[in-house]
Amino acid sequence: MAFKILIVDDSKLARMAVAKVLNTLRPEWARVEATDAAEAMALIRQNDIDITLLDFNMPGRDGLELAADLKMIRPEMPVAVISANVQREVVTRAGEAGAAFLPKPLTESALAAFLDEAEQRVGKA
Amino acid sequence: MNEFVEQFLIECRELVEQGTHDLLALEERPGDRERLDGAFRAFHTLKGAAGIVDFEAMATALHAAEDVLSAARAGSVAVTPGLIGDCLSCLDQVVQWLDAMEVTGEPPPDAATAAAALVQRFGRAPAVQEAPAAQEAPSGDLGVVAAELLGAQLALLDDTSSEPSAGRTGSALKVAANVLRHAGRETDAVRLEEMLARPEALPHPRAAAAAIAGVLSGRLELAEGPSPAHRETAEPVARGLRIDIERVDALVNLTAELTVAKNALAHAAARARAGEDVAGLLRDQHAVLDRLVGELQAAVLNIRVLPMRQVFQRFPRLVREMVVSLGKPAHLLTDGEGVEADKAIVEALFEPLLHVIRNAVDHGIEDPAAREAAGKPPGATVRLSAARHGEHVIIEVADDGRGIDVERVRQKALEQGVAAPEALAAMSPAEVVELIFAPGFSTAAQVTGLSGRGVGMDAVRTAVERLGGRVDVASRAGEGTTVRFTLPFTVMMSRVMTVESAGQMFGIPLEAIVETIRLPGEAVSGIGAARAFVLRDRTLPLIDLAQLLGEGEASDLTAEITVVVVSAAGQLGGLRVDRLGERMDVMLKPMEGLLAGAFGMAGTTLMGDGRVLIVLDLQELLQ
Repeated sequence: MAFKILIVDDSKLARMAVAKVLNTLRPEWARVEATDAAEAMALIRQNDIDITLLDFNMPGRDGLELAADLKMIRPEMPVAVISANVQREVVTRAGEAGAAFLPKPLTESALAAFLDEAEQRVGKA
Repeated sequence: MNEFVEQFLIECRELVEQGTHDLLALEERPGDRERLDGAFRAFHTLKGAAGIVDFEAMATALHAAEDVLSAARAGSVAVTPGLIGDCLSCLDQVVQWLDAMEVTGEPPPDAATAAAALVQRFGRAPAVQEAPAAQEAPSGDLGVVAAELLGAQLALLDDTSSEPSAGRTGSALKVAANVLRHAGRETDAVRLEEMLARPEALPHPRAAAAAIAGVLSGRLELAEGPSPAHRETAEPVARGLRIDIERVDALVNLTAELTVAKNALAHAAARARAGEDVAGLLRDQHAVLDRLVGELQAAVLNIRVLPMRQVFQRFPRLVREMVVSLGKPAHLLTDGEGVEADKAIVEALFEPLLHVIRNAVDHGIEDPAAREAAGKPPGATVRLSAARHGEHVIIEVADDGRGIDVERVRQKALEQGVAAPEALAAMSPAEVVELIFAPGFSTAAQVTGLSGRGVGMDAVRTAVERLGGRVDVASRAGEGTTVRFTLPFTVMMSRVMTVESAGQMFGIPLEAIVETIRLPGEAVSGIGAARAFVLRDRTLPLIDLAQLLGEGEASDLTAEITVVVVSAAGQLGGLRVDRLGERMDVMLKPMEGLLAGAFGMAGTTLMGDGRVLIVLDLQELLQ
C-alpha cells in the first residue's frame, strides 16, 4: 500500500538526501516537502499525510516542538525526528513526544526500520 | 557535477554568509542569545550538509566548531573574540573548500590536514579564556589579512599590463613593510625598507616581488593549514560552471523557436522560387529572427553568471581583522549578494575591492575620539553593495568617515608633480578627488597603518577598466567617501564600429569613439617616427592602423585622410583608417592560443559574411 510521507527540513540538500533513500526503499510512496514547522502544520491540516520525517534543527520552531504539536493534532501518525546530534536529551525528548529518533546523515537501514514499523501502525489504524 | 554537490555548494555558501553575520553580531553583543543560536545552527547545518556529500574532513572541522559553540550556549565557555576568530577561520576554510569543489565537483583530497589543524585549534579553545584582546596574530604567524595584503602587493608588482613604475614598486614595498610591522615581524619589515632606502635605486619590481614572496612563503612553513597566499598559487582557474536548470530550459525553448523560424524561412524561399513577392514575408521573418537571436544571446550570457556572494562573503571577516589590527571599531554591511554578473567579472573583483575597503577602514574612517567629537557614533560603518542597473552592475564601497581632504590631495598632487600648478588651481573639488587614481599618487603624510590613501587606487582603476568598467569616487567632507565601480553585466557583448584599413576590417568599441573627422594630409606632422595632428588646440598621436599591425606601407599623407578619434583610459588619440563601416553588436571572443598576447587586439568576432572581425584594444594601442 502506498502512503503519503512528509519531509520537513529547512535544507533542500537534506530533503534531497532523504528523498533519495526513500526512493530506494519505497519508490511508490508520494512525497510532500516542507521547509519549516509552519509550512508543515499547514500541509498536515490540508493533506492526508500518513507519516512525517522531521529535522530537529530548524529556525523558528524546532523539530521536537513540532513533534509535540503533531502528537496533539494527529496522535496516531508515525513521526521521526532526524538529528545529526545524537544527544541523550534530544533522543529522550523525541521519545516523550511519541516520535522515533533517527541519526543524520540518514542511513538506509535506519530509515527502513522506522518505515517498516510505521507501515504496520498506519496499516492497523 | 551531480545535483547533490550543486545543492551542497548553494546551501553552504548561504550558511557561511549567515554564520559569518551571526558571529560578527555576536562579537558586538556577546550576550545575544539569538545570534549565538543562529551561529550554532549554521555550523550544525553545514556539518550535516558535509555528511550528506561524504565530505568527512569538513564535517570533522565543523563538528569541532559546533562543540565549542554548543559549550558557549551551555554557558561553560565564554564568547571571546578568540573563539569568534576561530569560528570565522573555520568558515573561511569552508569557503576555500567550496571554491575547490566548484572546480572539481569533489571534496578536495588534501582537506584532512587543514581540518586537523582546525580541530586542534578548537581543541584548545575552551581552555583559553583570554581577555577580549587581539590575540589574532601571534608573532610567528602573519594572520590571514596580512597575508592577503601582501598577496595584493605581489599582484600589483606582477601586473604586466602596464610599464613597471618606480612609484608602484615603492608603494608596494612600503605597504608590505607596514603590514609586516603591524604583524610584529620587525626584521622582515626592516629588510623590505632597506630596499626602499635609496629612492634613486629602487629594485626591479621582480626583485621586490621576490622579497615579499619570500616573507609569505616563510609564513607558509609556520602557519597551520593552508593560507590564502597558498591558495592563490594553487587555485586552478575555474573551468566548470554550475547552471540553473531553468537557464538550460530557456535555451532549449529558444532552440525550438529558432527551428520554427527556420522553417518559416524555408517556406518563404519556396514561394520566392515560385516567383511570388516575398519581401513583406522576409521582413516579418527577419523581425522574428532578430528577436530570437537577441534572446538567445541574453540566455547564453545568463549562463556565465555568478552571484556577488562569491566575492562579498570574504570581506566581513577581513574587515574584522583590519579592525582588530587598527583598533578602529567598524563594521561592514553588505547588500546585494544575490546580484549576478559575468563569472569573469565576479572572480576578478576581489583585489580591487580589497584595496578600496582597506583604504576605507584605514583612512576613510576617523579614530573613535575624532568620530565622537564630530557627533558620529564611535563605530564606523562601511557599506559594500551591489545592484543591477540595466546592462550594468554597480558596486559601491561607502564609508561614513571623514571624506577625502581635497586640499591635501591638491597639495600632494602639486608636490608630486601629478598636475601643473595652474591646472590644479582651476580644478573643481571633484576633479581634484579624481587625482587619487593617478599612477603612484599617495597622500603619504597620511600613511599610518596598512596603506596610504591612494596607494593602489591606480591599480584599482586599471583592474576595473580591464573588466570594461569604470571607477568613480564621491566624497563629502565629514560625511564619508563612496567608491563606485560601474561594470558591464557581461564582458562579452560589445558595440563596435567597423573600419577598414589596408583591406582588413577592424572593430572599434563604440564607447571609445569620440568622433570621426577628415583631415587634410598636411595637418599631420611628424614627431620622430611618430605622427601627430592637432585637434582643437590639442596635439594627439595619430596611429596608422595598417602600419601598426604590419598590414601595409606607411600611407600617403598628401590626400585627405579619415581619422577616428578615440579615448581609452583617459588618453586621446587618432586612428587613421581607409574607410568607415557600420555599427554592430558583437559577441566578443577573447584572443586564444597563439594570439592570446597579440598586441592591440581585444578579441575577435565572426561577421555575417563569415569573415573574422578583429576588435581593437585601444588602451593598449594608445599606450
